[in-house]
Amino acid sequence: MTHQTHSYHMVNPSPWPLTGALSAFLMTSGLIMWFHFNSMILLTLSFLTNTLTMYQWWRDIIRESTFQGHHTPTVQKGLRYGMVLFILSEVLFFTGFFWAFYHSSLAPTPELGGSWPPTGIHPLNPLELPLLNTSVLLASGVSITWAHHSLMEGDRKHVLQALLITIMLGLYFTLLQVSEYYEAPFTISDGIYGSTFFVTTGFHGLHVIIGSTFLIICFMRQMMFHFTSGHHFGFEAAAWYWHFVDVVWLFLYVSIYWWGS
Amino acid sequence: MAHGPRRSAACGILLDRGTNPCPLHRQADSQPLRHQGSPCFTIFLNIFTVGLRPVVSTEAPPIIFATPTKLSSNSTAYDYAGKNKVPELQKFFQKSDGVPIHLKRGLPDQMLYRTTMALTVGGTIYCLIALYMASQPRNK
Repeated sequence: MTHQTHSYHMVNPSPWPLTGALSAFLMTSGLIMWFHFNSMILLTLSFLTNTLTMYQWWRDIIRESTFQGHHTPTVQKGLRYGMVLFILSEVLFFTGFFWAFYHSSLAPTPELGGSWPPTGIHPLNPLELPLLNTSVLLASGVSITWAHHSLMEGDRKHVLQALLITIMLGLYFTLLQVSEYYEAPFTISDGIYGSTFFVTTGFHGLHVIIGSTFLIICFMRQMMFHFTSGHHFGFEAAAWYWHFVDVVWLFLYVSIYWWGS
Repeated sequence: MAHGPRRSAACGILLDRGTNPCPLHRQADSQPLRHQGSPCFTIFLNIFTVGLRPVVSTEAPPIIFATPTKLSSNSTAYDYAGKNKVPELQKFFQKSDGVPIHLKRGLPDQMLYRTTMALTVGGTIYCLIALYMASQPRNK
């Protein structure tokens, strides 16, 4: 019987990187087919295969860690570096959109009426729904911290309670944003204002949905006794991601909703 | 073994060694069950659970699962939709049968794998054909 003499995890050969890469290919080609040939078959197929890949890949990671015990402190350290770098890449992603916003809003062109907001645009009142959204996300940051402390203290019931509150607040935010999108007096095609507003808030909303999904997975895992008080990196990663989403919103609120109005 | 708040900027992002010294992810430090009821929370849980079994014994089960058999037949504990199945799953997935992790559960894993592969590879072939056709110039 051979045993490894190091603390790293040598994974079993897995088909998911291949299916993931192929689903990405289908997604990009699917977008082309949708844009230019009005066909959504490839795009739908790509979402399906992407979801299947993600489900099975992360299911396998849970099997390798919680059930097989392969996540030594060394492995966990690598995962921490990985999550930090991923979130950093997302920060840079949003930086691009904020750059575009400030590029256009700091020196508004004559075509816009030389002002920001551009002539004819009636921006949303930052003290109405956007302020409520801010308080919702800030509160969710508090509740997820409560969940984490409860987890570290071994208080199972309160972990579930606090996580549930966090998820509910995230869903509430999403619903509020959807209604805001519906009621907004301007659209994405209303010049550079509309473009920067909807692309930046739209991507943020997508990240809220992703973060909420991650939290729901954590809730289910906590129900199934996966986390221990000393080892719960999946939960920590979800919490970091959620705080990141919250911080992006704060930048959004201050820049686009408040200063930009 | 909880890691408390730290002063440094890297505040808990990178663990120092020792939080989980055991390579096997034991349930040794999982949370004890508490029994203080909360009606609001109970209503929430009912949405997700099939049913809550009422408390018969107020004794919390032992934190260290030295004897898992003691817990598996214990129906008197306060349950949130089922008992802790992690120890038996640990035993199941640690069987050295040479099966890779993505197929270890047997038939359901195989079915899902084959479906995923078929859809992805089939979709890629369809995609290549579609792209080839799209690249042909259209006559007026």
